[in-house]
Amino acid sequence: MPPLNDRDIASSQSACGAPETSPAPASQHGQQQQPTRSWWRSIEEKSPTPEMLEQLGREFPEGADQLPDGEDRRTFIKLMGASMALAGIGVSGCRRWPESKIVPYAVRPSDRVPGKPVIYATATEYAGVGIGLLATSFDGRPIKLDGNGDTWMGRGVGTISQSRIIELYNPERSITALHKGAPSDDAAFTAWARERFDALKTRGGEGLAFLTEAFSGPSWADMKARLSKALPKATWTTWEPLSNDAALTGLATALGGARRLIPDYSLADVVVSFDDDFLNASPLSPRFTRDFAKTRRVKSKEAKTASLSRLYSFESTLSVTGMFADERFAVRTSTLPAVVATIAMDLKLFDGTPALATALAKLAAMFDAGKLDAGRQEALKRLVEDLRTSRGRGIITAGANQPPAVHALCAAMNDALGNTGATVRYVPALETPSLPAMRSLVEALNAGKVDTLMIIGGNPIYTAPVDLDFGAAMAKAANVIHHALEVNETSRHAACTWHLPAAHFLECWGDVRAWDHSVSIQQPLIYPLVPDAQNARSPIEVLALVAGGEVPLDGAAIVRRTHLADRTGAEAEAAWRRQLDRGVVPNSAVELESRPAVKLAAVASSLESCAVCIGSATAGMELVFFNDMKVFDGRFGSIGWLQELPDPVTKITWDNAALISPVTAKRFDLKKGDLVRLAAGGRFVEAAIWPVPGHADDSVSIALGYGRTDCGSSIAQGAGFNAYSIRSSNGMWVVADAGITRTGARYDLAHTQDHGVSEAIIPAVPHHGIQDRLPTLVRQGTLTEFREHPDFAKHRTHVTHRLSLWEESNLDGAAHRWAMSIDLGTCTGCSACVIACQAENNIPIVGKDQVARGRELHWIRIDRYFKGADMERPEGFAIAPVTCMQCENAPCEQVCPVAATVHDEEGLNNMVYNRCIGTRYCSNNCPYKVRRFNFFDYQRRVPVREQEGFMAVKPEYFVETGPELRLRMQFNPEVTVRMRGVMEKCTFCVQRIQAAKITAKNAWAKKGGLASGTSGYTIPDGMITTACQDACPAEAIIFGDLSDSKSRVSALHADDRSYQMLEELNTKTRVKYMARITNPVAEPSHGGGHHASAPANAGNEASPHTPEAPAKGGAA
Amino acid sequence: MSAIDRGNLGFVQDDNTLETPGKRATLVLNMKSFGEVTHQVARVSEARKAPLAWYVAFVVSLGLCGFLGVCVTYLIFAGVGVWNLNNPVMWAFDITNFVFWVGIGHAGTLISAILFLFRQKWRTGINRFAEAMTIFAVICAGLFPGIHVGRVWLAYWLFPIPNSMELWPQFRSPLLWDVFAVGTYFTVSLVFWYVGLIPDLATLRDRAKGTIRQLGYGLFALGWRGSNRHWHRYEVAYLLLAALATPLVLSVHSVVSFDFAVSQLPGWHTTIFPPYFVAGAIFSGFAMVVTLAVPARQLFGLKDLITIRHLDNMNKIILVTGCMVGYAYSMEFFIAWYSAALYEKFAFVNRAFGQYWWAYAFMVSCNVITPQLFWFKALRTSIPAMFVLSLVVNVGMWFERFVIIVSSLANDFLPSSWGDYAPTWVEIGTMIGSFGLFGVLFLLFCRFLPMIAIAEVKATMPQGNPHWEGYGHGAGHAGAGAGGGHVSHAHSSGAGPTSIAGSALASPSPEAPLSPGGPNS
Repeated sequence: MPPLNDRDIASSQSACGAPETSPAPASQHGQQQQPTRSWWRSIEEKSPTPEMLEQLGREFPEGADQLPDGEDRRTFIKLMGASMALAGIGVSGCRRWPESKIVPYAVRPSDRVPGKPVIYATATEYAGVGIGLLATSFDGRPIKLDGNGDTWMGRGVGTISQSRIIELYNPERSITALHKGAPSDDAAFTAWARERFDALKTRGGEGLAFLTEAFSGPSWADMKARLSKALPKATWTTWEPLSNDAALTGLATALGGARRLIPDYSLADVVVSFDDDFLNASPLSPRFTRDFAKTRRVKSKEAKTASLSRLYSFESTLSVTGMFADERFAVRTSTLPAVVATIAMDLKLFDGTPALATALAKLAAMFDAGKLDAGRQEALKRLVEDLRTSRGRGIITAGANQPPAVHALCAAMNDALGNTGATVRYVPALETPSLPAMRSLVEALNAGKVDTLMIIGGNPIYTAPVDLDFGAAMAKAANVIHHALEVNETSRHAACTWHLPAAHFLECWGDVRAWDHSVSIQQPLIYPLVPDAQNARSPIEVLALVAGGEVPLDGAAIVRRTHLADRTGAEAEAAWRRQLDRGVVPNSAVELESRPAVKLAAVASSLESCAVCIGSATAGMELVFFNDMKVFDGRFGSIGWLQELPDPVTKITWDNAALISPVTAKRFDLKKGDLVRLAAGGRFVEAAIWPVPGHADDSVSIALGYGRTDCGSSIAQGAGFNAYSIRSSNGMWVVADAGITRTGARYDLAHTQDHGVSEAIIPAVPHHGIQDRLPTLVRQGTLTEFREHPDFAKHRTHVTHRLSLWEESNLDGAAHRWAMSIDLGTCTGCSACVIACQAENNIPIVGKDQVARGRELHWIRIDRYFKGADMERPEGFAIAPVTCMQCENAPCEQVCPVAATVHDEEGLNNMVYNRCIGTRYCSNNCPYKVRRFNFFDYQRRVPVREQEGFMAVKPEYFVETGPELRLRMQFNPEVTVRMRGVMEKCTFCVQRIQAAKITAKNAWAKKGGLASGTSGYTIPDGMITTACQDACPAEAIIFGDLSDSKSRVSALHADDRSYQMLEELNTKTRVKYMARITNPVAEPSHGGGHHASAPANAGNEASPHTPEAPAKGGAA
Repeated sequence: MSAIDRGNLGFVQDDNTLETPGKRATLVLNMKSFGEVTHQVARVSEARKAPLAWYVAFVVSLGLCGFLGVCVTYLIFAGVGVWNLNNPVMWAFDITNFVFWVGIGHAGTLISAILFLFRQKWRTGINRFAEAMTIFAVICAGLFPGIHVGRVWLAYWLFPIPNSMELWPQFRSPLLWDVFAVGTYFTVSLVFWYVGLIPDLATLRDRAKGTIRQLGYGLFALGWRGSNRHWHRYEVAYLLLAALATPLVLSVHSVVSFDFAVSQLPGWHTTIFPPYFVAGAIFSGFAMVVTLAVPARQLFGLKDLITIRHLDNMNKIILVTGCMVGYAYSMEFFIAWYSAALYEKFAFVNRAFGQYWWAYAFMVSCNVITPQLFWFKALRTSIPAMFVLSLVVNVGMWFERFVIIVSSLANDFLPSSWGDYAPTWVEIGTMIGSFGLFGVLFLLFCRFLPMIAIAEVKATMPQGNPHWEGYGHGAGHAGAGAGGGHVSHAHSSGAGPTSIAGSALASPSPEAPLSPGGPNS
């Protein structure tokens, strides 16, 4: 039995838990104690025996601290401690929380309260467009990105910019330098690079070529200038696969210099878009959407004099802009130049310039307006009239897939109509056309002129025009260095010598320029999540590394140098701080050019050549490439949120598809999901067919950026079909005479809407079912109708009685009555709200397989309907974001057997996750189907594309390990992470409501509470915003308190345009919609398409208070 | 003197389905004596070996039941996602099976309670195993709500258990009503069944040869001695339980239908549901009794006790309830049209012509058209025909629940959230497995418990009539057996029919002599 050898009586009386420093044998203690005693406890002590001494040394009576089997308590605890520690190593994953290192502040920085979010202004860019952001950081973790209202882009920033928070935490992002494919580190690279670059420097940079993404920031420009000076013979190429080269060239032709178009949609009365999806596809769309929304708001109180802009859209592929348009023309992209010419002819603007008039006539002859149906012909006439009468208040814009001549012509038309200088302005372009630059780089590579190719960002192996064979050209360079956030096709290419992990924009310093050249500083929020030995660099730091020596290597120093130049001192420092704080550098935007002179002769000759080149393309099957609103050119393919976001038009997730009109599909006998072979210029790609009502006939379009084959991301890998593989330099956007052949194979596309109709034995049954109810669900009226009956929306349905099974409470006396208003008049369906909600509320992605099964978890969704009796040729479109309606009389609450969903006194329909057992009855009884069920532990699985394995569960499901845990750093700690088996749904961002209430209450209490003479705290209107509201570029979502009669939401709910969806069910929703007012050229006729015209008929025929409108309309 | 027209006793006629005005048809064929009846029923459990078919059926059922275990384990480990449920179809096979099994569970109590109160003597041949079927069907039904919830380990929160959180279930939810309705129904049915079993258990006990059997049956026979006092108490208890069970027959499926009717989903939100569900339940329950009775009487030699007349009667009920169900189907359509409610109209048109048209067509052909064949007596009394038709009705009634649940959910108010549904192998496996569970329980019952209420059957036999005068004196009654003496003894003692049955318990049978320690020894 081991003696109690490491603790004496004295130490046992000392502070509990203090570490023992000097273990010593018990015998010594005994000997030390014994002689000093002048008193004793017993005779035995007086005449000590060894046993007695040992007993005296004990803390407890004999046996009390010993285990029966012979181990004493101390040994037991030691063993237990050791085994628990070992157990911790072995099963460290068997816990609910990921392992994390917590380093408390020794000294807390001022204003830093643990657990309280801090918001920083920062910025990002893609495709050379700077976007100012506000990043929310929770204890050092950035968790959410919002737009910075002080910047040019504004508060809503669209889906992509918000999603890029996931790029930061992407478990598969590159964290290791690769040397010829093998893992290496930064030290090895730096040593290698120093030698190379020093050698290059002695040759003035000869043989060095830079191939970069578009970077807009002044620091980049500054570094580039310095480097060009040091290495004058180095070449620079900017490659953006979706670069709008045509606009650059066309505007340069028309205006005599490279220009950027800056339209101000907020001033426009008439907007004509020629295949320009300005409301969704471009990085600038959020700003355009916000501007354009300003022209689409009407007030019911001023209905008599209400006015609305009118949007005409010509396009082949149905787009968000097209769905929003008042008048839409489905026209093949190749035919569009002729349409533009026809309109220009009809406008008679250029009759004074014979050369131009001739060119227009030649081009216009290729389009026969007589083939349009009567309605479109009328609309085309009105378009010309509108443009003519709205001088200075119109905007004509063309898309990237239109030839330069069309852009030039549009510039000339804008000028001739007086729009330039009013609604249309220009600034000098910072970008250069991508394709010629790429071409000359490939030539240089092939000529063996490039020894070292430095690729900063981008993925040219994947995105370069296929006919240039960039891979073969790249292989001719001795050294290729690829710097990117992710390992992609370019890094994996055999010719790639080095791959370097890049720093995410939230990890490094930088700066960006917005479209109007205004500068925002990119502040890092987090230390790079890349091992120190790998040293993730920002693009400017890479340039600094190449430059070596004389310039600072540190991004922060570079940015400071750019902005502060040689200014020093407190004042400069304070100004710098202010810039950082505000997120935008004052006075950095360039002045808008008012009216540059238009060179009509150049426009004429450009059109002349265009007429020649499109000549044959006006017939036959065309293939159109378009940029995807989710993955863009493919670079955001690894962001799961974006992959799972339903496309606003097709509602497809996780894939792209070959879009085609139903009529053409029928002609080729193609059905949804048929795999076809698209051929262009001797190359082909297989893609799945997806018929889209409203698509132009004889045209097939496919989004770029999908079909990744060899990228490091399991999310991007295998998503969709690679359209780049048939995109050549002479058909960057449109290919005439494309081939489309059936392969006989099928491909499953996961989509979130339009289920449950295709198997009907009588297809007209579900179709008419939809058309019958559409007028009441998504209420729309024309401007004329609105002027006559501002409250038309109230009479689209007939509510006679509202009986409830239960005693109802309308919560009238509540301190707050939270409510929301969604304006369908401005909502474009861009889906920014969906991503914002996902980011705010810890909503996981579920993967393609689960989406295909109908289990997507988005708390807000965008409903999209095609209107009209003809399933193939829709007469219109209806868009409605649908989220939890927070019904006062909620059907879900009545059926939950365990009271897991309950109402609070402020009118919120709360979901108590802890209480939910998952009977799913609430979802069945929810008429809006906005409740979402966790069929699996989606947060714990990493389900991407297929359900894997027999158990459909990865080992990580049970033992939490791996880099996937990093994704959880994005979690909003204010929102519960839901486990499997519970229902979830929109909460009106209850965490934000609570935070605001706490702040307001504290402020009130600080002022003295009741003693201050106020009866309670107040929350000013607008203090609480929901995540979807913040993200909405159209500002269509307004949240607030109905108890506050002055709140915006009170006014909106009282507006005549407001209505409740399915109000006949007596759900008494707290979300109300504002009916959409459209501005078509003509009132819908009574004859054609009785279903779509039903609402209009009903409103016109019936007096506003005749409540049988829908039935009558439906039967008309 | 011969007050009884012997020609009407049924001894000489095999066909007891003929209706002779003023005369009752015989319910036990071949002039059985009490002892023979006892023996015929009891020997099933006394035989050392069951028929080969029993073993085959048992192995198959056990296999399916094991597969049910696999499916349920997988479900619980992986999550409800292994079923193909989705938004909007949050319920499908799970609740379909639940309602289906609860419906099956209706016939037993209806036969034993309602027919008892209505003095329908023919119930005695089938009530025992119909009740057993009820118990087992409700067990199968109860399985599904238990496992279909997202967090199975918290399913007990459905019960009003006092707890420190002071949280109670939500009493407005029909799911909670289900818990009470099904729970009560199960309890009462079980007690009713067990009480009815007691005299027969005593018989088995008395006939038992092995100690285990004696102890086993003896334990559950609760010391039954067949005394007049016992019989008296028994009769009263049985009557009261029948009265208690009768409203439950109507209530349980009404409450189950509230799961749908109380919601506001078009296609569910219908006031016709309670009677319609009850009719459907009786319909499917009787079909299931026929499905089970046909092979059972064949296999265990019970054709004299479960006669064609019994089956004929049940087929008539199937015909009646089938017509009621058909009426309900058409009335749903009429009301949907008459209501002029947009969503209601669509729900029914879509049910017939939308994506689940095939299920609807299948359901109507099985449930409305097929039972009409029972208008023909030839089919009503044909064993193969009724077996096939009853199976068709069972399948049809399963589809009815599927159609109601899935087609209503799949296409509801907002077309944007419409969905479709197809089961995974786990769902199909769970459904088939539940038949395995049912099969195992039912086969065990057949093997070890009296399938037919021995005592009650005897009361319906001619000998049970106090005024019966024995097998008579004339020749031609070859079947006259040894039981006659006992009966006349009972008659002379002046006891009622139940006493006769009771004394019959003790009647020695040639094959199985009275065991020592019997009540009358």
